[in-house]
Amino acid sequence: MTHQRWFTPWLLVAPAAVWLAVFSLWPSLNTVVLAFTNAKPLGGGRFTGVENFARITDDAQLGDALLNSVIYMVVCVPLLTLLPLLLAVLVQRKLPGISFFRTAFYTPVIASAVVVALIWGWVLEERGLVNGLAQQLGVLSGPLPFLTDRWLLLLSAISLTVWKGLGYYMIIYLSALGNVSRELHEAAFVDGAGPVRRFFNVTVPGVRNTMALVSVLISVSALRVFSELYVLSDGTGGPGGQDMSVVMLIQMYSRGFTGHLGYASALSLLLFAVTIGPMLLLLRLNRKAA
Amino acid sequence: MRKGWLIPVAAAAAVLLLSGCGLGGDGGAGEDVDASGEVKGKVTFQTWALQPKFTDYVQGVIDAFEAAYPGTEVEWLDQPGDGYSDKVLSQAAGGSLPDVVNLPPDFVLPLVQQGMLLDIEGADDKLNADYVTGGIDAYRYTGHNGVYAYPWYLNTDVNYWNTELLAKYGLDPAKLPTTVDELIAQARTMKKESGGEVYLMSRKPELGDLANAGVPIMAEDGKSFVFNTPEAAAVLDKYRAAFAEGLMPRDVLTDKYAGNAELFNSGTVAWTTGGGNYITSLATDNPTLAPKVIPSPAMGTPPLYAQGLSVASGSKNLPTAMALARWVTNAENQAAFAHLVNIFPSTKASANDPFFAQSDGTPSGDAKVIAFTSLAQARMLQPVEVTGAMSDIVKQQISLAISGDASSQEALDAAVEQCDKLIGQ
Repeated sequence: MTHQRWFTPWLLVAPAAVWLAVFSLWPSLNTVVLAFTNAKPLGGGRFTGVENFARITDDAQLGDALLNSVIYMVVCVPLLTLLPLLLAVLVQRKLPGISFFRTAFYTPVIASAVVVALIWGWVLEERGLVNGLAQQLGVLSGPLPFLTDRWLLLLSAISLTVWKGLGYYMIIYLSALGNVSRELHEAAFVDGAGPVRRFFNVTVPGVRNTMALVSVLISVSALRVFSELYVLSDGTGGPGGQDMSVVMLIQMYSRGFTGHLGYASALSLLLFAVTIGPMLLLLRLNRKAA
Repeated sequence: MRKGWLIPVAAAAAVLLLSGCGLGGDGGAGEDVDASGEVKGKVTFQTWALQPKFTDYVQGVIDAFEAAYPGTEVEWLDQPGDGYSDKVLSQAAGGSLPDVVNLPPDFVLPLVQQGMLLDIEGADDKLNADYVTGGIDAYRYTGHNGVYAYPWYLNTDVNYWNTELLAKYGLDPAKLPTTVDELIAQARTMKKESGGEVYLMSRKPELGDLANAGVPIMAEDGKSFVFNTPEAAAVLDKYRAAFAEGLMPRDVLTDKYAGNAELFNSGTVAWTTGGGNYITSLATDNPTLAPKVIPSPAMGTPPLYAQGLSVASGSKNLPTAMALARWVTNAENQAAFAHLVNIFPSTKASANDPFFAQSDGTPSGDAKVIAFTSLAQARMLQPVEVTGAMSDIVKQQISLAISGDASSQEALDAAVEQCDKLIGQ
């Protein structure tokens, strides 16, 4: 039996531990410290106590941003939990050419979020494809301000997120559907259950844990939405900045030579606190599954 | 015993954290540095997006410097146009600021606050004698004595008009608007005549427009904002009414088209503003439009756009860095640069150069003369203390006022309140 020095396990985990410490732990801890200062990108950083947090309670734009994030979550969670499941059930069948549809549904996932948002921006602008077609067909008498109206812009961004996320969650559901017992489906069929009844009484219970996992993942990513709103609003956060998400606010305050890193860090901590709920739920689910 | 390592590691982490976040204290103000001495040895020189268009010119200036000062060597770094502020920020944070670096006035202030740049006025007693006051003043900062760059080239805004669109939609290119009221009146005519297809105006007002209307932006001590005046609200009210009347595209609310220049270039709007060299660049982007464009002086006080060459106070070769910055910005080299492109020298010796005061009869030549004569009145309309976040907040509030979601006074009050909170940080 070979003698093992006490530090051997530490040596083995050292590369990963150093990586985590430098790129995850240290920035996270530094964010906590920065939130109590008036730090700028260049030097400086006086301790200012809870001043940044007091400002949070007085920031009207943050209220809009939180509302946008919550609306994003409330709309995206049901849509992106159910639609990909239906899609997965459809493409699960072994039909000729079905792999083409699977690939087609997955394509938006591999496309860059920024590129996709730019394309949607061109499609939705006042003189874009949607307004042009709708006016030519006589559906609209004038262009709809998809990108310059607060609520239409938010709706456009949500539509983009849903469209882009369908394929990703469909793949997760496809693997989960593989574990649903075929015998149960056959037994239900023999008992006279139709496709809708089999979906609700066999398929849904079979993928319930996956649905919970998907819901939590969507909640977290919806609360942290950035690319779609940023690109569709050209970085301005829509008219009057009313379509900012919390992450966009953090970016606005922290960017450039004169970034207000202290306040941006306080906002980051707030976002962390808001998203910790769904994350804890995810951990609990994982533990349960284990 | 085995866990004795924990204490030093924890202590090191604490030190790292506190130093990383800058709790070690603010950077000091500029110190008195002796920049005299022999001009010799190697220096680095950083420019902003001058390659490849002006490679020959800049390299020629550097070669002449090395020939005039034997034993010197200049390493020229040219950074791309995008992301320049991030590049300079990383250089400054990493202590690797080039010896001589091209910086606009707003980049300079944070570096001055950290004592990273040399006070040129303190080191060169001929500065005020050789360079124009406007250029020098662009590099003076409230609360900091001195001047923190040799002014290099200057520019200002000129109005540009699409004569074809003006004539087609009932406007006379010989009677161009000279005030905001005239502009709005002509925009109304254009909307009516074009059936709303073409706009004259396609930008919302900014802080510069308020300054232009005589509204003070900051208090004299530079510690708070004061632009929420009834006069400023009246300016916004004019634009708000114009927007409600449909005289501007709805996209002005979000700057979807990155300002009006892009729409002007595509022939969708008939008015834009640009530097003295705008027609030259337009000739590349839209050659058929360029000949139809005429310039006129900016409305009100023209804005001053300055570029300067700063010297890093931490340079290991200050005498050579100073000599190089002065060399590149001397009257002869600036004049040669300005003959290549419509920019304007910051040296007093160039003021009487007939080249700048005489047009060759082309619209581009006229724009050059207009810009050159405007420079005498030009000033920086937006204070350098306005950070990126403040600028965003002001734009957002102005957007709310223009769209009618808030009254002009409410929007201005909100903008001032938020900017005041940020300036104290």
